[in-house]
Amino acid sequence: MTESVILSMQGMEISFPGVKALDRVDFTLRSGEVHALLGENGAGKSTLIKCLTGVHRMDAGRIMFDGSEISPSSPQEAMKMGISTVYQEINLCPNLTVAENIFIGRQPMKRSQIDWKEMNRRASELMERFNIHIDVTRPLDIFSTAVQQIVSIARAVDIQAKVLILDEPTSSLDENEVDRLFRVMEGLKKEGLGIIFITHFLDQVFRIADRITVLRNGQLVGTFEAGGITKLDLVTRMIGKDMDAIYNLKRPDVAKDAGKMLEADRIGITGGTVGDISLHVKEGELLGFAGLLGSGRTETAQMLFGVTRAGKGSIRKQGKTIRVRHPIDAIGQKIAFCPEDRKRDGIIGDLSVRENIMLVTQGRRGLFRPMSRQEQVQLAEKYVKLLGIMTPDIEKKVGELSGGNQQKVILARWMATDPDVLILDEPTRGIDVGAKAEIQRLMIELCGKGVSVLFISSELDEIIRCANRILIMRDGEKAAEVPGGSTTQHEILSIIAGEGVQGGVA
Amino acid sequence: MMRKRMKLDTERITKSKLFWAIVAELLILLVCLIIRPDFFSISYQPSSGMLYGSLIDILNRSSEITIIAMGMMLVIATAGTDLSVGSLVAVSGALALRLMRWDLDLYPTPGDWSITPLYLVIAASLGACLLMGSFNGLLVSRWNMQPIIATLILMVAGRGIAQVITGGKQMTTMFSPFKFIAHGSFLYLPMPVIITAAVILVIYLSTRRTAFGLFIESVGVNRSASRVSGLNARRIIMTVYMISGFLAGISGLIYSSRIISNDSNNAGQGYEMDAILAVVIGGGNMAGGKFNIAGTVMGSLIIRTIITFVYYFGVAAEAIMVFKAMIIAVVIILQSEPIRRMLEKRSRMRRSIQGGALHE
Repeated sequence: MTESVILSMQGMEISFPGVKALDRVDFTLRSGEVHALLGENGAGKSTLIKCLTGVHRMDAGRIMFDGSEISPSSPQEAMKMGISTVYQEINLCPNLTVAENIFIGRQPMKRSQIDWKEMNRRASELMERFNIHIDVTRPLDIFSTAVQQIVSIARAVDIQAKVLILDEPTSSLDENEVDRLFRVMEGLKKEGLGIIFITHFLDQVFRIADRITVLRNGQLVGTFEAGGITKLDLVTRMIGKDMDAIYNLKRPDVAKDAGKMLEADRIGITGGTVGDISLHVKEGELLGFAGLLGSGRTETAQMLFGVTRAGKGSIRKQGKTIRVRHPIDAIGQKIAFCPEDRKRDGIIGDLSVRENIMLVTQGRRGLFRPMSRQEQVQLAEKYVKLLGIMTPDIEKKVGELSGGNQQKVILARWMATDPDVLILDEPTRGIDVGAKAEIQRLMIELCGKGVSVLFISSELDEIIRCANRILIMRDGEKAAEVPGGSTTQHEILSIIAGEGVQGGVA
Repeated sequence: MMRKRMKLDTERITKSKLFWAIVAELLILLVCLIIRPDFFSISYQPSSGMLYGSLIDILNRSSEITIIAMGMMLVIATAGTDLSVGSLVAVSGALALRLMRWDLDLYPTPGDWSITPLYLVIAASLGACLLMGSFNGLLVSRWNMQPIIATLILMVAGRGIAQVITGGKQMTTMFSPFKFIAHGSFLYLPMPVIITAAVILVIYLSTRRTAFGLFIESVGVNRSASRVSGLNARRIIMTVYMISGFLAGISGLIYSSRIISNDSNNAGQGYEMDAILAVVIGGGNMAGGKFNIAGTVMGSLIIRTIITFVYYFGVAAEAIMVFKAMIIAVVIILQSEPIRRMLEKRSRMRRSIQGGALHE
């Protein structure tokens, strides 16, 4: 292939106090290709992108873009040159309309006033190009995350971009939405754009990427053609150690005489989209929850934990009927819950690791029996060590840790309460392979100690590998229950898809 | 190793807002001392059994704001604001005077008497403010109203309520037990100082010696996550507004005792802003989160010191507010992140030049 190189970075080097964040990294991007950038957290992916977009100044190295050397000093400058970035967190204004979001700062003018008609027309043209048929005059926040993501891509692309950087664009999308995004990416590729795609989802890399560059500890491991490398090989290169240990996780069988730990009988939200869910989980059992986003997985978990109130049905724990109207009730019953939206419902960002870990334990002890400073430190240090939380010290603000470590802190918070039932809603989303594997290992270890785990995940291979039994949800109802391990992804997908609905991954 | 640790600690101290608040306070005091060499002198007056002096005066007169700021601090820590406190000061005073004087037509001359015993006067005033605090709390915690809007209701209505209570009249009293609240003394110190110290102590014990402080901060940083972690966010938010109202009541009693009368229009005027300012100077974040008791007390002292300073400086009465605003602006700007970072950078540079270690 003789595609032209649009962007090349040579010998990129940058040091931060105490770390060499990038060490002689080379990277080239051709126009009309999707180039995946992989590596664990801290491998240098973001740093490389930040050098390219002028957030950081590199110590050495040169960037050639479109035939000339550049050194942008700010993301705005990079954008003007034609290098646009779409970040993981959507950087748009949810209260403005779609059109306003696309054209903010460069609104079409007519007689020194904003030409709303023209703006809306151009915005809807642009969205049509991406096969998104929506009313661009509606506020952005009424649309799904995928549409919002595509709006931010539309905005980036419309500014005459030649290179588009997508930083974890799919981390909050479900399968259908990912498909939608990928179609958009294919379209842009045909138009000759070079796309740098950063993600943690390896399946997606193999679906869309033409080439893959792997970084580890700030160094270049290599650049590979997507067709010429296997997944296992890729992961091994990313984390630098053998992945067999992780892929051969030994899932303990549930003891034959294990009693039912938690049962739900026809629970549902009154007037809501989820109704009539019945399920049970045994002592020491790992129950997987599969299904698309919005299929009722999260709602079911939230009902079990009292985040949303189950208007009908009943919940039993160890045979006794319990009332769960508020998380406090569930915690009292030794149920624990790691929520899906880590930022919104999980971490208390401005508080320290220590405070975040002790929070639920203290809540259970009540207001008037405060833990002594020494107890707090002991508790926090124990779990930081046990879960391998990477933090300089326990007084660090949780908000400043990486996603994987934040997730571990939340897990620590709940493990400290010594729960009987642990509900995990997408605990491995958006975190790197190493942390992911550790969380899976922890789950399985807890099961071995008799804890019942309910594990919700969008990644089927993960569920199949870990769960004893898999419950499949569709359209707010329980669609099927299949055994873990022996069931294939394809079987689950066809159940998820149901009749007449198109499936997800091939 | 040892040196590194020490450097780290000084860095932590200079980064804290409390440190800069203390520096600012000392600077203002220093200027006062230069203008008036006898500024720091404190004398004992046997007739009243009290210490006298400018410093004592600053402590005494800052009481109303410090007490209110304690409540405001907790409210702000939950990411709220309580604008009603100034008006509650007026309500508290109005109710107290009404209960003592009852009817100006029946008892036209003020004297050392009261219709209602003092304990009932205090209980009623504080009870009323507690109730109004609960109203604020209810609006914010249960009906999810924005705190500024919710407390604006009583900020506006409060002065009206005070007017209604007193029938629009200004009453005066000579009732000595009531006068004692602001004019009495205990342990050589004016009563307001003692009351303030007690309030600070109670707030400290109830927030830092129980888990209440952590829960408040947790709810302030992330209400949703706190709920999932099993905290009763509603009850916590409700409680801080009740505390804020109650403390405004105490402040109101001190104020009305100080002027031995009620003043529905001017009592507590602008206190809510001074209290917010004290909290912010003390390191509080309007978006909720960590609160600092010592910092807030410092903030309140700074505000009072500035007013004293302005009087001593001989600034014309009309210009006092402008002057106060200017000094506060300087304090806040000095504390702001970019300026502090700039100062830090400079001092680090100077240090490395002095040490001859340019090529670090």
